[in-house]
Amino acid sequence: MILHVSFDHTEYQEPPHRFEAGTPDIAGAIGLGAALDFIEALGRENIVQHEEALTGYGVDRLSRIPGLRLLGAGQRRLGILSFDLEGVHPHDVATVLDQHQVAVRAGHHCAQPLMESLGLTGTTRASLGVYNDESDIDALVEALEATREIFR
Amino acid sequence: MTMDLRELYQDIILDHGRHPRNFRALDNPTHFAQGHNPLCGDRVTVYLTLDGDHIADVSFQGRGCAISTAAASLMTEVLKGKTLADARALFAHFHARVTGGAEAALPETLEEEMERLEPLTGVKAYPARVKCATLSWHALEAALKGGGPGVAVKTE
Repeated sequence: MILHVSFDHTEYQEPPHRFEAGTPDIAGAIGLGAALDFIEALGRENIVQHEEALTGYGVDRLSRIPGLRLLGAGQRRLGILSFDLEGVHPHDVATVLDQHQVAVRAGHHCAQPLMESLGLTGTTRASLGVYNDESDIDALVEALEATREIFR
Repeated sequence: MTMDLRELYQDIILDHGRHPRNFRALDNPTHFAQGHNPLCGDRVTVYLTLDGDHIADVSFQGRGCAISTAAASLMTEVLKGKTLADARALFAHFHARVTGGAEAALPETLEEEMERLEPLTGVKAYPARVKCATLSWHALEAALKGGGPGVAVKTE
């Protein structure tokens, strides 16, 4: 934002205001408010419980898939399931899952040194949140079985 | 498997993905170049031994998904013994087929080779996977353009 403009001189406001010309992100601020209301309405404790239960179910189901190695063996984990499916490149896994309406992230996750230390080119990663329930895990498992079928 | 996926992961792709042909470095390549896709981490090095205008030998090494491995494998199979002009014509035609661009006319003598590459054209329906099919070809092009060893090319 400017402070004063004339034909021979332009004077800017002090930072940060000089970098914030134009309409502020009003929609973003309102959106953030709505998101906070949404979270508070659900209750943070409930969210944690939901995600923990779902993650436990996911670990349980994925662990039973032959050739699938879940990464991260800690007792406590967030709602993130990263895994390696033996003999199948993560991008091939992701393409098959995508065709089964299961959206995941695949690849090196901008963490190439970690992949190197794991001895992998990449992983497939499913993330769980309040929007998910057990049927989503079931769909993931079903799609992974289909992936194994293709690449057996 | 859904029909769509069968188009993409045809048996020939799965076979070459699992058991790539010409998967080795050449001892004395006249040309080679590395293709690298930094977004997915795929790497492929293409080696060439030219005898005048002919591709006497061609091979590759690297790591990648089933599609990029199969594409590189099939590429080496169809290019062995071909002229550089043949290689360029095939790449131009193949590139157009997988990206949906305008197809350049292909000499009749190369129809059989194009037919061998046909299974890879299933990637056209998967925009995110097109680069997997073309990475090795871009590396080949870089090797030939560079005129010397060790050129790197990136596709994203």
